[in-house]
Amino acid sequence: MTALAVLLLGLGVTAASPPDPSGHWRAALDLAGGPLRFALELEPTADGWAATLCNGTACSDAGPARLEGDSLIVQLVDFDARIAARIRGDSLSGMYSNVGNRGPRVIPFRASRGTWPVSALSAGLAGQWDATLVTDGRTSPRIFIFEQGPAGPRGAVVSNTGDYGEFGGIASGDSVVLSHFDGSFVYMITAALSGDTLRGTFHAGLRTQTPFTAVRSSGTAHLREPTAMTAADTTERFRFAFPDLAGNLVTSDDPRFAGKVVLVDVFGTWCSTCHYAAPILAGFQREYGPRGLAIVGLAYEVTGDTAIDGALVRRYRDKFQLPFPLLLAGVGIAELAAETLPQLRGFTAFPTTIFLGRDGRVRRVHAGFYGPATGAMHQRQVAEFRSLIEELLAEVAPPEASPPQ
Amino acid sequence: MRAAAITAAGWLLLASAAAPTMAAQSPDAVAAERAAYAAWIGNAATSPAAAVAQQPIGDGLVLGAGAAVPLTGIDARVKPVGGRMVLETRDGSRALARYRPVSLGRYTIVPGGTARKPMLTVFDSTRPRKAPHFYAHDPALVLSGTLTPPERPAMERLLAPDGIEVEATEAGSVLVPLGGTTTRLKVMRIPDPSTGESDLEIYFRDSTNASETYPAGRFVALVPLGNGRYRLDFNRARNPFCAYSSAYACPIPWRGNAIPAPVRAGERYEHQ
Repeated sequence: MTALAVLLLGLGVTAASPPDPSGHWRAALDLAGGPLRFALELEPTADGWAATLCNGTACSDAGPARLEGDSLIVQLVDFDARIAARIRGDSLSGMYSNVGNRGPRVIPFRASRGTWPVSALSAGLAGQWDATLVTDGRTSPRIFIFEQGPAGPRGAVVSNTGDYGEFGGIASGDSVVLSHFDGSFVYMITAALSGDTLRGTFHAGLRTQTPFTAVRSSGTAHLREPTAMTAADTTERFRFAFPDLAGNLVTSDDPRFAGKVVLVDVFGTWCSTCHYAAPILAGFQREYGPRGLAIVGLAYEVTGDTAIDGALVRRYRDKFQLPFPLLLAGVGIAELAAETLPQLRGFTAFPTTIFLGRDGRVRRVHAGFYGPATGAMHQRQVAEFRSLIEELLAEVAPPEASPPQ
Repeated sequence: MRAAAITAAGWLLLASAAAPTMAAQSPDAVAAERAAYAAWIGNAATSPAAAVAQQPIGDGLVLGAGAAVPLTGIDARVKPVGGRMVLETRDGSRALARYRPVSLGRYTIVPGGTARKPMLTVFDSTRPRKAPHFYAHDPALVLSGTLTPPERPAMERLLAPDGIEVEATEAGSVLVPLGGTTTRLKVMRIPDPSTGESDLEIYFRDSTNASETYPAGRFVALVPLGNGRYRLDFNRARNPFCAYSSAYACPIPWRGNAIPAPVRAGERYEHQ
């Protein structure tokens, strides 16, 4: 009887005071192919909580959270998406929903207090893999990179045009599950080693599943070379003319580019891979600017409307403290963007980085970008960018490179 | 543990609600999906039940009294300018982003479709809305089995549930044992241009179409279970958007996808 009374008293106290969801939650989305694990952190604010989503050690602000009765509502800013879950003691149970064009896409969500256990990636799984995804008989290459991080196994998935950000997860024996959930994109890899071959499924959203097989990267190119995807006319100076954020037309003949090594960053604020490239470019401008590097960003945005796009690009500039001009070049649909850069052939990727020599001609076009989650691929690519910039800076500007007077 | 009856076709009838091992497949998840769908149909500015027009933008569309898209109290035009979509009103012009809704008086407009064939959908906040109706959950209409791949995967231009033309790939077929016979249903992979994801969809007809469900048929998506197996849950069958508004083009029934038995699961339709 005493035990029951204590239990009832305990329940009574819990029911009387509103639940406090502050702290760490080990959360999961129940995809058709199994649970996608991630961490949810809630920190108290003046009018509720601030939610953070983490995949392994990579965390991002998700948006504000509040209580509605006995339910926790996390509004995922930047997306028409939210998590709504009932709090029962130390567990949460509910739904993640993301409203798309064809209605809400709903994925069951659950969480319990605490953190996911840190597991160890076996040596047989660690390293770089050449993966081949198969959809309805058609194949598509990816590179998977798996390694042991401080929060357990982590990884990256790289396509021809860049990576999907950091994946985190758990491993057991010769199996691994790695996922990436940022509030909108829902990706998961489930993989198991059989002999020398890695077999598994790439999951996107609730029920899109693509089987793959992968073998250890041998050093031969599995993805298309980033420098071989887009070609350029190198017989003439590279030309562009677009308004800057103040509405002034800036052209490739602008004195600030004359005789300089110019790096043209074709990007969009909507493009997550571009966000991985931005801090690197900012660093290059600070480091090499005094020696003659001039970076210019060409923004391809969501509307083509100066007022709307300008605000997005200003926020992007301020977020990454970009010390170079950003021009409003058009809308972010590859085929439409290509029309504004007629000297390129085969433009397909955001970002695309165009390197111009001091004579204003294209010396290299690099499609896509490998973000920091790709580890050695990222470092090698940054080193390649750096050595090309050094090489081009060392060249002497031809006299005809000066702008028309 | 699965309580299952193996059929001649190799598909299993999951005879018990205890069958699902993951929340994504439970009746609770179906109920939550239905609730979210009903809320969207009932409340969203871009609910299919609020649609009053869906037309190709072509060289330009006039929106207003007596215009191609007759809207009360509106005098506007949507037209392509150098690859962009621009909305012109008396207050000036502004660019439109694909799939981003823009308010126009009591209306909301959404440009969509493909870069080659942009479409405009117009929604009216005052249009009376029909709420979705569903059959009670029937665990006997949750099936699982394998997908038979096509001899040669064919690409086909067809209408997605939202009336937008897409390039779909034939993913194969499933054999469904209902009504004392087995029916081969074609499965198409239908892309969603707004998300980049795709679904394995079956557009099917059954003997309830004449009186209880939408006459043109219903869509149901296959849920992959791993190891080449799929779940076909008729409790998730949904009407195409044309059931909510005649503004949408209605997908024509897929040849052969007719089940000669009543499928009393999923979404219903009130015949006039």
